[in-house]
Amino acid sequence: MAKTDLLQGTLDLLILRILALAPNHGWGISNRIRQMSKDGLNASQGSLYPALHRLEVNGDVRSEMTASENNRRARVYTITAAGRRRLDAETRSWEQFALSMKRVLQRE
Amino acid sequence: MAVRLMTRLLGLLRRSRAAAELDEELQFHVEHEIAANVARGMSPGEARRAALRDLGGLAQTREAVLDVRSVWIDGLWRDARHTVRALIAAPSFSVVVVAVLMLSVAASASVFSIVDAVVLRPLPYPHPDRLVGISEPTQENLRPTGRDLLVSPQEFFDWRDRQDVFAGLAASAWTEITVKAAGEDFPERLPARWVTANYFDVLGRMPLLGRPFTAENEVQGRNHVAVISHRLWQHRFNGDRDVIGKPLPGQLAAFDIVGVMPADFRDPDDTAEAVQVWIPFVPERDARVRGNDFGYYLRAVARLRDGISHDHAQSRMNSIMADLAVDYPRWVKGRVARVESLHASVTRGVRTWMLMLLGAVTCVLLIATVNLANLMLARGWARRQELAVRAALGASRAALARVLMVESLILATTGAALGAAVAWMSVGYLRSSLPMDLPRAADVAIDARVLAVTMGVSVGIGVVLGLIPVRQFVGAATSSILVGHQRSGSADRTAVRLRGWLVIAEVALAAVLLVGAALFATSFVRVTSIDLGLDYHNVLTLRLRPLVRPTDVNPGQAPLLRALERVRAIPGVELAALAGNGLPLRGDLRTEDFSIPGGVADSDMALNQVSPDYFRTLRIPVKDGRVFSDADVDTGQQVVVLNEMAARRFFAGNALGRTIRWRSYGARTVVGIVGDIRYDGPEEPTRPQAFIPIVQTTASAATLIVRTAPGTASVRPLIGRVISDEYPAGAVAPLNIEVQPLEHYFSELVAERRVNMRLLGLFGLLGALVAGVGVYGVLAYLVAQRTREIGIRVALGARRSMIVSSVLALTARYVFAGLVGGMLVAWMLSTLVRGLLFSTQPHDPVVYVVVGFTICGLAGLAALVPARRAAGVDPIVALRCE
Repeated sequence: MAKTDLLQGTLDLLILRILALAPNHGWGISNRIRQMSKDGLNASQGSLYPALHRLEVNGDVRSEMTASENNRRARVYTITAAGRRRLDAETRSWEQFALSMKRVLQRE
Repeated sequence: MAVRLMTRLLGLLRRSRAAAELDEELQFHVEHEIAANVARGMSPGEARRAALRDLGGLAQTREAVLDVRSVWIDGLWRDARHTVRALIAAPSFSVVVVAVLMLSVAASASVFSIVDAVVLRPLPYPHPDRLVGISEPTQENLRPTGRDLLVSPQEFFDWRDRQDVFAGLAASAWTEITVKAAGEDFPERLPARWVTANYFDVLGRMPLLGRPFTAENEVQGRNHVAVISHRLWQHRFNGDRDVIGKPLPGQLAAFDIVGVMPADFRDPDDTAEAVQVWIPFVPERDARVRGNDFGYYLRAVARLRDGISHDHAQSRMNSIMADLAVDYPRWVKGRVARVESLHASVTRGVRTWMLMLLGAVTCVLLIATVNLANLMLARGWARRQELAVRAALGASRAALARVLMVESLILATTGAALGAAVAWMSVGYLRSSLPMDLPRAADVAIDARVLAVTMGVSVGIGVVLGLIPVRQFVGAATSSILVGHQRSGSADRTAVRLRGWLVIAEVALAAVLLVGAALFATSFVRVTSIDLGLDYHNVLTLRLRPLVRPTDVNPGQAPLLRALERVRAIPGVELAALAGNGLPLRGDLRTEDFSIPGGVADSDMALNQVSPDYFRTLRIPVKDGRVFSDADVDTGQQVVVLNEMAARRFFAGNALGRTIRWRSYGARTVVGIVGDIRYDGPEEPTRPQAFIPIVQTTASAATLIVRTAPGTASVRPLIGRVISDEYPAGAVAPLNIEVQPLEHYFSELVAERRVNMRLLGLFGLLGALVAGVGVYGVLAYLVAQRTREIGIRVALGARRSMIVSSVLALTARYVFAGLVGGMLVAWMLSTLVRGLLFSTQPHDPVVYVVVGFTICGLAGLAALVPARRAAGVDPIVALRCE
């Protein structure tokens, strides 16, 4: 359980970070994650959509079906105020955590 | 209901739209991904496969998202669908559970509807706790068991003049009026109340239309006004708003309608019959002065003044009574004014009874619950592998609990809904079997309140029952259940022990119910088989009471006697007689003052004016001397017949030939002694009675008593025809134009006991059956569990009889433990209902022995099938199946 939570939390953080730049649809977000994956982060696309919907249920993002090219509709996600607050808080705690880990690991 | 359904449907629609949008969203993703892959140089097919692979499968992702979206409610919905399918797949389990619940819920809802309407509900008046009833019981009989709590008008007026603790003191009295408009064939009898002008004011309810009475209406001549009930307004006046000022066509005089009460108004004296008309109470002069006329017929109702407590009001009334006792010693002697809440006063005499019924039906509900717990345990055991698989596949504890909870809730609500439906269908019958004088019985109905309580209790039961297997199986180590499938684990042993306890509890509760049923059945049998001193079978009665306006010529006795002669001539009529002052078992009787020269001075006893065949018609035996004959004419010797008790009490048994001087009927010689009868019913003491020939009086009203040959129903209409011949239309009070069998009055007297016997009998039967099912279930289960062990024993040479007796011994353990516990509880509880029993001791050993044997017999029957199955175990098969 703990492992999934961590992964889930990380993925949420990534999504919020991406959406904080601009509203985007699922595929766009996945594309951004793929770009980031090259930087060593690995998030499966399969868990992206459940995570997006969970974030929406939690009120961190909201979504809207908007018209896109050639008569398709796309669901576009936007970060909410609550989402931004969560992003700030989790970024801080993540940095804190990373810093602590780094200190512990470098003490050797 | 409809609203909830709509919300539900909307929810489903919303969900299906969300699902469609999700499909669209994923489709969008896949298309873009394919395009991107192709752009990276993959072939279209490869691009598509890669896109789907990266997404982790379209369907899986879709499910995962839907799971996120619909956490609890959809899960419930899914579980419910699964459960219904599973329950349909196990029909015997489902049917037993639902049937047991249905029966017990039907029983409890019906009984609760009665108890609620009669006792539990507050009275429907503003600030009902400030309303009190005042009665004046005698000091020897402070807590009368009867329901009459009546006050004499003289006392009432003195209280009203002297009291300063009530904001208002009102009174009402029973009456009835018959109305017949021109052009109507049959007059209508309406239950009515005489009320003081402030009556509605004190109760705090005002008419919906028009006005209440004013003090002016309490004057003779201005009292021909009426306030009518909402129901009467609707059915006689079609709810016409112009009704105020219209006449209510009473047979003697018309009443001007001044008000219509709201539909929800109830008179405190409403019984199975609701009061329809209120008219002002204008007492006759001799009811105002303290002369020789004693009459207790008012119900006094008062509203406490603000800031005055019950106790204060009581002590004030005490001091008023003390003053009155000084002023009128002959009147107030030995009486107290008792102030109690109006609710207590209305429900007096029926509260214990009602609470007993509620207790009994709670017992039924408990048995059903325990039995269901037992079944749920068995079911949980049967499902434990399924549960273990679910747990192994990652279902959380909460999800498993939800699965079990949903099942028991579905069963509970289905059973409860069916039970409520049965109660709803049977409540009419139940209401009609209640005593006519049961307060507020007209309001007995399966209404929203009753349904809410019923449903609440059922859902509560469902939750509790759902929790049992949750505790039992969900916590257990799933691997051990999966691996050690049939072998007994520790969870199994706990379950068996628990089930044993449950069976013991069932047997105990069934024993309690059966003891109750036996006690009430014994009471009923004793009450109905008591010798009343008369024979009420095959006797028809008819009250003949001509209404005489002051301007009319009194028809006198002639039509009465002519009617008697003609009725006697009807084929099928064996004997016929008249009684002028009341009918045995009907509850009416007048007393007369008398004195005996050289004996008792200034006493009174019951006196009836009868025709010669009275005693033969009612089969009252003549003990000494003679009864009346046609030779006793009005100008002849003035005679009287006494019953044995009167002869004993007033003449020391030596009454023949002696003289009694009556205040209204002169000096009369005692010519005969007849047997005592229980005039007021089997439960009331015999009293001294005197009889005089009706022809030696001026009585023009009487009750016709007719003894018919058995099975001659045809006599009834013939009697009716004779009467309408003899009394031209409208001259006879139509009160009893229907002929009423004397048996009817007897049956009214024992109605409460009959209800008790039937309900408790039904409950006892239900309890015993359910307990029997419980015993059977556990034994069958244990035998199935031990098939292997039994097989080994048989293989090692155990005889079949030993196997059977070991099963029976197991049964005996449960049954005796339950029986002992149940008997102890019944022993303690039965003393609480002592007052409801009739010449039956709550600790009657016969009752307990009979119940003990009944339960043992039932348990034996329940054990029969499992025992036979155990005896039939084939060792080879049993050993091979492991």
